[in-house]
Amino acid sequence: MSSSIGEKCTQIKQEYDGCFNSWYSEKFLKGDATPKCDDLFFKYKECLLKTLEEKKLDTLLADARKDNPFPNSAASSASPSSGSSSESSKKN
Amino acid sequence: MKFFQTTHKFEHDWAQVTAGNWMKYPNEQCPHVIAVDVLERHVDPETGVLRTERLLTCNQNAPALVLKFLGGSTLSYVRETSELDPKTKRLTMKTQNLSMCNVLTINETVTYTVNPHDDSTTMFKQEAEIVAGSSLSRFSSYVEDFCLTRFRDNAAVGRKGFETVLEKLKVARQEAQQQLEKAQSQIEKATFQIEKAAASATASAAAAL
Repeated sequence: MSSSIGEKCTQIKQEYDGCFNSWYSEKFLKGDATPKCDDLFFKYKECLLKTLEEKKLDTLLADARKDNPFPNSAASSASPSSGSSSESSKKN
Repeated sequence: MKFFQTTHKFEHDWAQVTAGNWMKYPNEQCPHVIAVDVLERHVDPETGVLRTERLLTCNQNAPALVLKFLGGSTLSYVRETSELDPKTKRLTMKTQNLSMCNVLTINETVTYTVNPHDDSTTMFKQEAEIVAGSSLSRFSSYVEDFCLTRFRDNAAVGRKGFETVLEKLKVARQEAQQQLEKAQSQIEKATFQIEKAAASATASAAAAL
């Protein structure tokens, strides 16, 4: 299993990964999209966001998201591939 | 600007390939990917599409001149956004470097789809464009050439590394199946012995009466 960018987050991340991998094969691919790993993901993300701030990657990420937003589930439309914009702007 | 495109067929079905995709790292062929983090993930309630945003941390050396041009660090960050549609069996992943965007941009799109000629296998397509600095600069062309070669090499080991991961997962599944069959056989044998002993006990009891 891969490590996290934040050493302190690796353990909780791998717990989340284990949960997600089982959910993906045993539930999601069989038609059941009920979330099962939200609690773990919440704990992992808390740790990850702290690390991104410490490493000053949060502003870098915010800029990248401005150009290519990652849609949240409430904002998505019915068309399937409307997610992240298909043509990334070429920055020079 | 440089372009790169390749296609490949994985001898595993789409479910196995996409499941393996989330477990691709670490692998020995790609030691440069040192961390993978999930930033966001959700299933679109209307379409059922799984959307994921990830951050990949890479550590990879380069010639001193290139390294200097790219800011001096061997560490780089890549942002990946993906959409996985379980109905159409299509996984599309887009990545762009997060760091060094002012000097170098690598945009990559990868798709995994079911092979229309053999649904036990999966088609993989990878496209990338690499732009360094100003397209009029000769030095930027040198950097682009270097990055293109590096990208091509990474793509090749990336595929090999993923194949290794998929094979390991397949072997693990087969071993688990064999153990299950062995346990079932033992249960059947034990059941037979119990039934035999019970029948014998019943016969003895009947004879004694």
